[in-house]
Amino acid sequence: MKLLSRPDELRQALGPLAIFAILLALISVAVPEFLGGGGPSIIAQQATPILLVALGQCVVLCIGSIDLSNAAIALFASILAALTLGPLGAAAPVFCLIVVTLIGVANGLVLVYTQIPSFALTLGTLGVMQAASLVVTGSNVVYVMDNMDVVGWLFTVQILTLPVAFWIAVVLAAALWAFLRFTVPGQGLMAIGFNERAAGLSGQPVNALKVLAFGLSGFFAGLAGLCVISISGAASSIGLGSDLLVPSIAAALVGGTAITGGVCNPLNVVFGAMFVALIPVGSAAVGVNPQAQSIVYGVVLIVAVAATMSRARHGIVK
Amino acid sequence: MIQTGIPRQAPIQLDAGRDGTAPILRLSGLAKSFGPVAAVKPLTLTVGRHEVIGLIGENGAGKSTLLKLLTGVHQPDAGTFELNGRPVRLKGPQDATEHGLGIVHQEQSLFTNLSVAENIVMGAGRKGSASTRGGIYRWRALHREAAEVLARIGSTVSPATIVGDLGFAERQMVEIARTIHVACRTAERQGGAPLVILDEPTSVLEEAETAVLEHEIARLRAIGSVIFVSHRLEEVLRICTRIVVMRHGELVADRPVDGVTEADLFRLMIGKDRHARTREAVPPVTGTPVLRAEGLTRAGAFHDICLDVHPGRITAIVGTFGAGREALVRALFGAEPLDGGRLEVAGRDVVQWSPRRAIRAGLAYLPAERGVESAVGGLSAARNLTMVPQGRSWLLSPAGRRALAEEWFGRLDIRPNLPGQDLARFSGGNQQKVVLAKWLRLKPRVLILDHPLRGLDPGAGATVNACIRAAAAEGAGVLLLADTLEEALDLGHEILVMRDGEISARFDRTTDDPTTLDLLEKMV
Repeated sequence: MKLLSRPDELRQALGPLAIFAILLALISVAVPEFLGGGGPSIIAQQATPILLVALGQCVVLCIGSIDLSNAAIALFASILAALTLGPLGAAAPVFCLIVVTLIGVANGLVLVYTQIPSFALTLGTLGVMQAASLVVTGSNVVYVMDNMDVVGWLFTVQILTLPVAFWIAVVLAAALWAFLRFTVPGQGLMAIGFNERAAGLSGQPVNALKVLAFGLSGFFAGLAGLCVISISGAASSIGLGSDLLVPSIAAALVGGTAITGGVCNPLNVVFGAMFVALIPVGSAAVGVNPQAQSIVYGVVLIVAVAATMSRARHGIVK
Repeated sequence: MIQTGIPRQAPIQLDAGRDGTAPILRLSGLAKSFGPVAAVKPLTLTVGRHEVIGLIGENGAGKSTLLKLLTGVHQPDAGTFELNGRPVRLKGPQDATEHGLGIVHQEQSLFTNLSVAENIVMGAGRKGSASTRGGIYRWRALHREAAEVLARIGSTVSPATIVGDLGFAERQMVEIARTIHVACRTAERQGGAPLVILDEPTSVLEEAETAVLEHEIARLRAIGSVIFVSHRLEEVLRICTRIVVMRHGELVADRPVDGVTEADLFRLMIGKDRHARTREAVPPVTGTPVLRAEGLTRAGAFHDICLDVHPGRITAIVGTFGAGREALVRALFGAEPLDGGRLEVAGRDVVQWSPRRAIRAGLAYLPAERGVESAVGGLSAARNLTMVPQGRSWLLSPAGRRALAEEWFGRLDIRPNLPGQDLARFSGGNQQKVVLAKWLRLKPRVLILDHPLRGLDPGAGATVNACIRAAAAEGAGVLLLADTLEEALDLGHEILVMRDGEISARFDRTTDDPTTLDLLEKMV
């Protein structure tokens, strides 16, 4: 195990799994019926949209940027799906994914050609997407009128007691993990996160890779939007899926992603997302007063990030 | 070996100087090694009052290490270090300033968004200054305090000016004022005088600004002493009262400025005036040049550069700092824009040049600033070897990477032999070898090397030089910015000298046999 010779490497590799296991164990001891009573299925359902948005986020974090707009894009995708499922049927999810991927690509292109910091740029896109959601829905709840079965199976079909959508997200996380580690563009994304100038002078297509990262972020957000529709059968600008931003960033960070770029392990983001989903479910299960849940949520998150976040780049953590 | 013409003299002892006080600085037997490399060999130096000492030496002669010892950045391995008669052990530049020894660097460390007065008082450190109370500025006192310091060094800059609005020379004044502010107070409290080190202060100054600085130095001399580090020898001769020459970590000359000429200083810096060490056959010019530049121009950096790089030949470019050769090679690689001129690679015009296109055309560029521009710390050494995308395949094969790493770790003797280890954890020399291997494995048509030996110990340097020769022997055209003139002479088949952004001389080793002094004469 010489690759794991340093505490930081060990923490990066196993930290997210460990803290998830610890939290799960604590809850199981406090509420023994949690594991048997459909708890895991509920957590998996809650975790899936968070995980999908977090996967997109971790690619963007990997190049040293941040995408504050992707949760709003996910919500927009769910609204778009609710509106188009009736008329377009099975083509609707494809249409939605293409639209939101293009929104992500647009984010990337603006970033590359205007050199606006991603924080400011995506904060702007966040506002635009929220307003677009309001305008498109006319501030109402949009119900799926027809063809619900096109997306419905995502959470009704279960494998090993967990919804199939969750397993699809896990497979996508594994695919993203392999993409980052075993492909030329994946290595390029990590190189940009660590040292953008060196990557550029080594011939990495820095601009194209940045656009790719934001495009992926949009794509994964679109998948999360489809999950929202599958769960609730309706979408609105304030409904389910409108509060994915903070949990998804938290999931990426608990999953060991470095906010300074370069360090990113999508497999661990799976545990990050499950952990984040587990906090409210678990704190309710052990009887924390609902008003105090946010306190538990915040404190546990800080502890978890402290335990798992990479500090490989000393002195640049801001 | 050619006689240098100036006998080596014992350091002048201004011990307990004419006015009966201790010298400001007394070093005796001060030494510093990094691993097996002796950066500063046991060295003895005394600086009295009211002296301006010129410290000169080639790159790598040990000047910077000596300065770092003086300012407490490094701790000496041996020797004694006295300031104003008291032995000191400095903890860092701030501590040095508080002991009365200040340094002003070429790259300035001012806060450009704050006022002159704030910057000056900022240097006052922990003990603070009279112009703050409870951490709150008392603006009037602050400005008065800054004005006093500025008046002391004869500067007319207003304390209220924002530093960002000042010119470069004026900023330098502010920096000096900041140093003096603290150094003077301490030195006077201890009954001594302050010592100010100016590290290459003029290399970025215009002529008029230099005149201001000279005036400044004269003022400083009235207060204490100055150590002036510069590559511009005529300035050193004009400004200084005494000259100290370093070479290979040793103090090889220490003498008053009277009667010394620039040529004497050249010879002292270089040691022997010598020809290239190796006499191997110089490969002839054959075929189309792999890289041809015609009239390349970039405003403010270089002007009307014509050069050919031929396959199998090493073209070395020499020049002082600021001669524009770094900007030139970056532009050749597409990393910086060009304002005019034509560039051909293997006989074909290039348009819309960028590093990616350059790499596709067969160029490779090893930047001088390894940590910032070439080594991707955080990724493994093996991944760094495969950092340059090539071919159509999008897949990286871990087995292929391991085989590649094994081959190059062996060939360049990269240590430790752990290709999977984070590159940032390798030593500088081994990082450089990894980055060089990254390019060599692509068998580039043109290999551009910007200070390939910077920070390398002699062993690693020899390996890298062997690789450069081997790459040329295999048919690459090499463009080399060498660290030292000896290196350029030893490796270069053709040597171009740059001065102020233009090529001032060309030597082809098939016909010419220039010496280091020939090169230096064209450089300055």
